[in-house]
Amino acid sequence: MIKADPIRLEVFKHLFASVAEEMGMVLRRTGYSPNIKERRDYSCAIFDEKGRMIAQAAHIPVHLGSMPLSVAAGIEAFDFSPGDVVILNDPYKGGTHLPDITLITPVFIDHEGEQDLLGFTANRAHHSDVGGMTPGSMPLSNELYQEGIIIPPLKLVERGVVNQALLDLVLANVRTSGEREGDIRAQIAANQRGVSRMRELVNRYGRQQVEAYMGWLLEYAERMTRRLIAGIPDGTYRYQDFMDDDGLDPESAKIVVEINIRGDEAIIDFTGTSAQRRGSINAVYAITLSATQYVFRTLIGMDIPSNSGCLAPIKVFAPEGSLVNARSPAAVAGGNVETSQRIVDVLLGALAQACPERVPAASQGTMNNITIGGWDSERDRPFAYYETVGGGMGACPGMDGTDAIHTHMTNTMNTPIEALEYAYPFQVRRYEIRRGSGGEGKFRGGNGILREIRFMEKSRVTILSDRRRFAPYGLAGGEPGLSGKNILIKDGEEIELPGKVSCEVEAGDVISIQTPGGGGFGDKRNRS
Amino acid sequence: MRIGIDIGGTFTDFVTFEEEKGTFQTYKVLSTPENPSQAIFNGLAELAPIEPPYIIHGSTIATNALLERKGARTALFSTKGFRDVIAIGRQIRSKLYDFFAHRPDPLVPEELRFEVDERVDHRGNVLISLEEDTLHDLCEQLRGLNVESVAICLLFSFANPVHEKTITRVLRESGFLVSPSCEVLPEFREYERASTTVINAYVSPVVDRYLHALEERLEAADFHMMQSNGGSIRSSQARKEAVRSILSGPAGGVVGAFHVGKLAGYEYVIGFDMGGTSTDVSLCDGEIRITKEAEIDHFPIRIPMIDIHTVGSGGGSIAFVDAGGALRVGPQSACADPGPVCYGLGGIEPTVTDANLVLGRLMPEFFLEGRMLLNRQAADDALEALAEQTGILADADLSSAQRAALGVIEVVNTHMERALRVISVERGHDPRDFTLVSFGGAGGLHAAQLARALGIPRVLVPPTASTLSALGMLTADVIKDYVQTVMLAGATPIEELKQLMAPLVDQGLRELQREGVSKDRITLHRELDMRYEGQGYELAVPLTADFAQAFHASHRKIYGHSAPDSPIEIVNVRLRAIGSVPSPSFPRAPLGSDDAEEASLGRRPFVQMDGAMSPRPFYQGERLKPGHTFRGPAIVVYKDTTVYLPMGDRARVDEYFNLIIEIQPNTNLSLRENDDQS
Repeated sequence: MIKADPIRLEVFKHLFASVAEEMGMVLRRTGYSPNIKERRDYSCAIFDEKGRMIAQAAHIPVHLGSMPLSVAAGIEAFDFSPGDVVILNDPYKGGTHLPDITLITPVFIDHEGEQDLLGFTANRAHHSDVGGMTPGSMPLSNELYQEGIIIPPLKLVERGVVNQALLDLVLANVRTSGEREGDIRAQIAANQRGVSRMRELVNRYGRQQVEAYMGWLLEYAERMTRRLIAGIPDGTYRYQDFMDDDGLDPESAKIVVEINIRGDEAIIDFTGTSAQRRGSINAVYAITLSATQYVFRTLIGMDIPSNSGCLAPIKVFAPEGSLVNARSPAAVAGGNVETSQRIVDVLLGALAQACPERVPAASQGTMNNITIGGWDSERDRPFAYYETVGGGMGACPGMDGTDAIHTHMTNTMNTPIEALEYAYPFQVRRYEIRRGSGGEGKFRGGNGILREIRFMEKSRVTILSDRRRFAPYGLAGGEPGLSGKNILIKDGEEIELPGKVSCEVEAGDVISIQTPGGGGFGDKRNRS
Repeated sequence: MRIGIDIGGTFTDFVTFEEEKGTFQTYKVLSTPENPSQAIFNGLAELAPIEPPYIIHGSTIATNALLERKGARTALFSTKGFRDVIAIGRQIRSKLYDFFAHRPDPLVPEELRFEVDERVDHRGNVLISLEEDTLHDLCEQLRGLNVESVAICLLFSFANPVHEKTITRVLRESGFLVSPSCEVLPEFREYERASTTVINAYVSPVVDRYLHALEERLEAADFHMMQSNGGSIRSSQARKEAVRSILSGPAGGVVGAFHVGKLAGYEYVIGFDMGGTSTDVSLCDGEIRITKEAEIDHFPIRIPMIDIHTVGSGGGSIAFVDAGGALRVGPQSACADPGPVCYGLGGIEPTVTDANLVLGRLMPEFFLEGRMLLNRQAADDALEALAEQTGILADADLSSAQRAALGVIEVVNTHMERALRVISVERGHDPRDFTLVSFGGAGGLHAAQLARALGIPRVLVPPTASTLSALGMLTADVIKDYVQTVMLAGATPIEELKQLMAPLVDQGLRELQREGVSKDRITLHRELDMRYEGQGYELAVPLTADFAQAFHASHRKIYGHSAPDSPIEIVNVRLRAIGSVPSPSFPRAPLGSDDAEEASLGRRPFVQMDGAMSPRPFYQGERLKPGHTFRGPAIVVYKDTTVYLPMGDRARVDEYFNLIIEIQPNTNLSLRENDDQS
């Protein structure tokens, strides 16, 4: 075999994707926590022997470019044997932020009595608590150590035997150990299913063919990405945008990008971006890669495998020690959820100059993370609640932006009001589209959300949100979306809260979260 | 006489059964898409029953009204502060990697969404009372806006429906057609309940008009509608609960597949219904699998429906080469118009049907009983062009068109295989325990190869393959589903639960008797939806004394673990009331000689899956008799479907005239893997 068969190329594309999806099914089916079962905050993927990602199931975009770095960290740390499983969450060794725990399992194939390495299966799941200073492990921290237990790449299972000491140590450091153990075991099972399915493919098609098509599918995705880039006019495109602040110090932080398109290759340079900050908005390099891959993957506009080939024609330079390539032990809890969105914004802002017909204006650019905790005296137990709130999507050339939706790097569901009020001592007063928040334009930006919560008990509220000062930009003459607002209503008086805040509230107080609208596209005078 | 009628895109199928004589026949008339009931009149005129028939009928009228946005002008009443719940949904996007993906607009536009000042809490306590006086103004507004139908969905109305009932009364007194959520679906989760209620309000007037027209013409007939839960209900009821008859056609097919499978001795059945533009797959493991999480066009419908997984691949799917050089098939389809290239109706892009023709697996003179002349040369040319674009060359045995055609089949089978895995493996079932029942026009050419790929040991093709939906309707029981959210602790005494179930039971018995079901034919299934406290999903277990143990066991079986020490919650009580219907007996004959020679159509060359081509036997399906056996490679041609039997597989005809194909195990494929747990 020296050349890919166009038929088998398509067949293997589906086969590999279906392995990754089936892993996801096992994880969802056997996982414990609602975060996995209902919000589906996880990703599954398969890798070749060198750690290149061959297929990732369409789960969470922020995991896209970062999974291969996990596997690379695993390969660097260990020689794998059959029956091993490596666990990690260290953002500085293959992770992103601490709640995301990744498991890597090698796929060995029996070859005349010898065990040959074919590749790896890996999955990453967001755990609802990994210890640290606040329940939910998404704190307003100033160093990594406050955010939870740090797990460098370690063998959780060695030749089929679980390292119980390691597992016990991890479980001793988290708030809900039973749930964590269940989720980790589900992650092991998911990888194992992937291993079985890969062996099945080798039995069906032969090892040589499976390996060959792993390579050819990388080339296929690379070819598609190169075609996309070749269609973008050569040139240098720059953009910059800001994070409001880091939650500790009031100064804004700048993200700068310069994209150089040369033929079918792109060089992306974040030089000029602010240095890493004390607060938790720092992103590790893996997140910057993920955001880049997400942007190019989406611009292709065709159903292609999400694999490492997509990144082959793209070089990403992110200065070490900056907001987009933080150095240990910078705090990173919010980098994954907030800064990742801004990286997408600057990349799209730059590319809009090159191909204005394909790029939408800025979307809400935040995930509006809210954590509420306290003591529920009616139910006589402590409570902790976490959710993210959607906002406006940026207007597209030719189309208004969608209202009230999660955009870009996340896609997790809301909690039904009727589910929430059964479980927690608060009531939702309003849950509406925030009308008028989408930027005006020939095509209007999507509107944000207005969500008002009235507390029945004294509670602690932590909000990790952005785009409260710097509004989502419009394009081609479109106006920016309205920036978001967090308001505390106390005895009828409205008090505006910062974008990142942790505060005590009393029974009867109301928090009003008003999420940003998307930017508009084109001059509003041309609106039909 | 009982008649099952399925209105499809091209044909309207009839299956009739005469109870006294035990006879049974099927036939088809052309569908009349502009006025679907016309086909029914045409078919019945041909049939001319002596006495008024008992008709069970499935139609896409509700589905089409929804998909084409041709439903009633519908208003929605919600609690103040929550009129946008149906627009926000679950705040997620359906496609991760598409800036231009359009979220469908809500069925009720902003100007028809009204808020009423009221609030009930999760225990059913009224926090803000509804002022009835304020409603009269709203009625006037509705009139001015030409509203035809009204949905009501207030927060926590399942816990205390007092306000919804007041609004319903006032609106009905004013002459509006009203769908209150406390009647349609008294179940928690405001978005899903509102979505279900709004769809009901949106399609009910359309279904009502349609049924009215039918009943007027067929005055004496006893008219019933197939529902998506696999049961039938009287049309007078169906018009009020139109949301329940969405997807009634595919539901009939699943009921039919399960029925023929059971008769043949196979209770574990995977239904495979491959049509022109899409393929529906379903699974029965001794009973038909039901889902409570169905979606249509991204709108959730929370009523129990048969679990059918649909993929956009079928005989009409178009093959092309993408920018990266891969040969792809679908999701674009040539549909019925212009159809595949070989139809000669203007199609120029090669489809799956063209590929099968080029491989010699279709007999042009037998296709749809010769009603459709197939142009093989045109199909050849189209596939040759595809081969050229793809770089596929001829070899010693096959032309480039034939090699491209084999590729198209391999790719489309990969789509099907994925769909079959979703419904089986991904739901925790082992394909080796199942029989693949193939029906629909295009399935027979692919079924055996798919079975082999998945390790399914056997394929069953019923003689009624192309009218199985209508047949399923004929055999469907009367089924009614009820639910009520209760949200109670797991330690709730069973007596209390039975009391909560009592109103559902009363309603179920009353409504089944109204359907004409006698008491001795009624069975009631009482269930609890339960979960561990804090979970966001529920499992249904039967209401018995040890329901808590049953929940832990079921959780362990489905999710692989349980937590007997953790607190549990009882979320809903559920009732399924079934009125069983006498099953028609099917044509049957004792097994005779195994020699199938009398059905032979001679030998003709066709291309097998390994690329070999030589003259092989063709059989005419209608002439096959119980007992006949033969081996692949062979082709069986029926009136409206064709079956491909690959090398090594063995076919026999059972006493019900089913073609049963025993798949030769793929020695190259070891599916016995027990290392999932290691």
